[in-house]
Amino acid sequence: MTSTAQPHSASKLAYSSLGLLIGLAVLIVFFVWHISVGAKSLEFSTVLQALFQYDDSQFSHMIVRELRMPRALIALVVGASLSVAGALMQGVTRNPLADPGLLGLMSGAALAAVLAVTYIGMHTMAWLPLIAAMGALLSALLVWLVASAAPGGATPLSLTLSGAAISGFIGAIISIIHLLNQDTFESLRGWLVGSLSGRDLQELYWSLPWMIVGLVGAVVLAPSVTALAMGDESAAGLGINVVKRKAQLLICVVILTASSVALAGPLGFIGLVIPHVVRMFMGSDYRWIVPYSAIFGAAYLLGIDVLARLLMRPQEIATGLLTAIVGAPLLIYLVRVRIK
Amino acid sequence: MVVIRLFNEAFSTRFRPIGLTLMLAGLLIWLGLVAASASLGSFNMNLAEVWQTVIGNAPSAQHELVVWEFRLPRTLVAGLVGALFALSGAMLQNLTRNSLADPSLVGISQGAALAVVTMVIVFPEVSGYWREVSAFAGSLLVALAIRVVAGKGNSLKFILMGIGMAALVSAITSAMLTYGDIDRAMSALAWLAGSINSATWSDVKILSVATAALLILYLVQARSMSPMSLGHEASVGLGVNINMLATTQLVTSVLAAALATAVVGPLGFVGLLAPHITRTMVKTGPANFLLLTALNGALLVLFADLVGRTLFAPVQIAAGLLTSLIGAPFFIWLMLSRKSQL
Repeated sequence: MTSTAQPHSASKLAYSSLGLLIGLAVLIVFFVWHISVGAKSLEFSTVLQALFQYDDSQFSHMIVRELRMPRALIALVVGASLSVAGALMQGVTRNPLADPGLLGLMSGAALAAVLAVTYIGMHTMAWLPLIAAMGALLSALLVWLVASAAPGGATPLSLTLSGAAISGFIGAIISIIHLLNQDTFESLRGWLVGSLSGRDLQELYWSLPWMIVGLVGAVVLAPSVTALAMGDESAAGLGINVVKRKAQLLICVVILTASSVALAGPLGFIGLVIPHVVRMFMGSDYRWIVPYSAIFGAAYLLGIDVLARLLMRPQEIATGLLTAIVGAPLLIYLVRVRIK
Repeated sequence: MVVIRLFNEAFSTRFRPIGLTLMLAGLLIWLGLVAASASLGSFNMNLAEVWQTVIGNAPSAQHELVVWEFRLPRTLVAGLVGALFALSGAMLQNLTRNSLADPSLVGISQGAALAVVTMVIVFPEVSGYWREVSAFAGSLLVALAIRVVAGKGNSLKFILMGIGMAALVSAITSAMLTYGDIDRAMSALAWLAGSINSATWSDVKILSVATAALLILYLVQARSMSPMSLGHEASVGLGVNINMLATTQLVTSVLAAALATAVVGPLGFVGLLAPHITRTMVKTGPANFLLLTALNGALLVLFADLVGRTLFAPVQIAAGLLTSLIGAPFFIWLMLSRKSQL
């Protein structure tokens, strides 16, 4: 596609493809496991039957199809989208701390969604991903503007600090809107800490097209991310229109983040954790990092969501809390090791 | 210029006339805010009625109830926690030589919150003073953890790691709330937003004793704060026992933040704002600086609480939300106006 792509060596190709297949297998196992866990535990075989030989006279098949499969599908697409968004951000900005949550995109998307639901009285999910995308784009630009104005420019440190301050500010505004509109807000409360419960397939249908656009865009643009990760000059030298390509990538990131937030609320740190883990195995070639992030991100969120329902049965921990408990120590570690 | 020298100059400080004037002005504003806070609310009364109630001639039992049971303790608690958070922030900034440090930003207050929530959920029958003790233990643990992982080096790394720590600790706290009984969780939730509305006289008692004791501890350390702000080498050269001072500064800073958090929950950005307001107001000796900072913190939180409960009445906006609304843009402004590179 672009001249930056080097030919794969045969062994590397075999190794990487094998890894991708293993990832897919893990993903499928986690998907079935996710569906089997719940108030009524189901056998793996029952889950598979319900998925492939649906029999609507069987109660457990109904549970699988109507209640549990939507949640598993949402965990899958949201995990994939957020991980890919994080991978793109880390590559393009050469910032190991880049993450849709840390750099303020998620809180912007959440604020836009809250405003739309509370003050415009929007009850359909149809336009929510688009509205959330506006918010994410605005807050991303704001975070970037503030960080660039800081002495030393938009370094990982200044970007993350400005992201934290702006997220804190937006968080306070959301809380105040919450207090002033207790009734309309009841439905949003669980959503705001990042939760996968109580979603139905209809909501997935509204977000899914956007996510597919974002994911396909990420795969198509992945080779130039590899070049951009080496520096803007190198990328320009390789014949990439840096500004245009960065704008395209920003749109991908915003779409992926916003449609995820619209579906599952702000689930923090997934976009930070997965790309770092993937890069440990895959090196710096984004043609592989992007699909790996998608598959392992999906498996990761499925796994976390299983834990969220298992750890404190019969209660359920909000999924976003668990992703933060896993991700925040990684943030601390990265700041310690990777920031000078 | 007033110079105070005590204990063979172990304690010495100077007050410029302008510093003293500002303190007097601050106290007058505080009195004004207290009066406003006692008279405004869903049950409105004029200042004369408030005064009559305070001196013991309440016009009605209702006046007495509202002023003595609800508004006065709340007003006093707001001032006291504001002073404590401000002092904690001033000390933390001096210790880390970092003008962006704030106990609620780097997770120290959240550590207190986690410890208290854990106590409430795991040992609901134990309460009272254990709340303060566990708050102190929790925030001390977080403070030590940040110091260990941050090590030496860029002071902004310390802030960023603290932000990570705060995210981790508050996520664990929220997860604990999922586990707990729903009623207890709901009351803990209001507390975690930094709300002062449930303040009682016993809170006032604990906090005023603690604030008085801590203020003395802070003033004793005041003299060594100036060399500390010049850097570690310079302080050692000036005869400061730096290891001991760093320990006492950390412990006193954590104590103040933990006590305040135990009563009202984590109140963001007060420890960041108050010392900076003082610095822009006047250049003065460290003891005067600390007193003015405590006063500014008190005014800030009292004001935030007053605005929060009257602006959208009957809905009450927790004071912590308002301090975050003011504090976050201020944090950005501080970040942008730094001279050194980030």
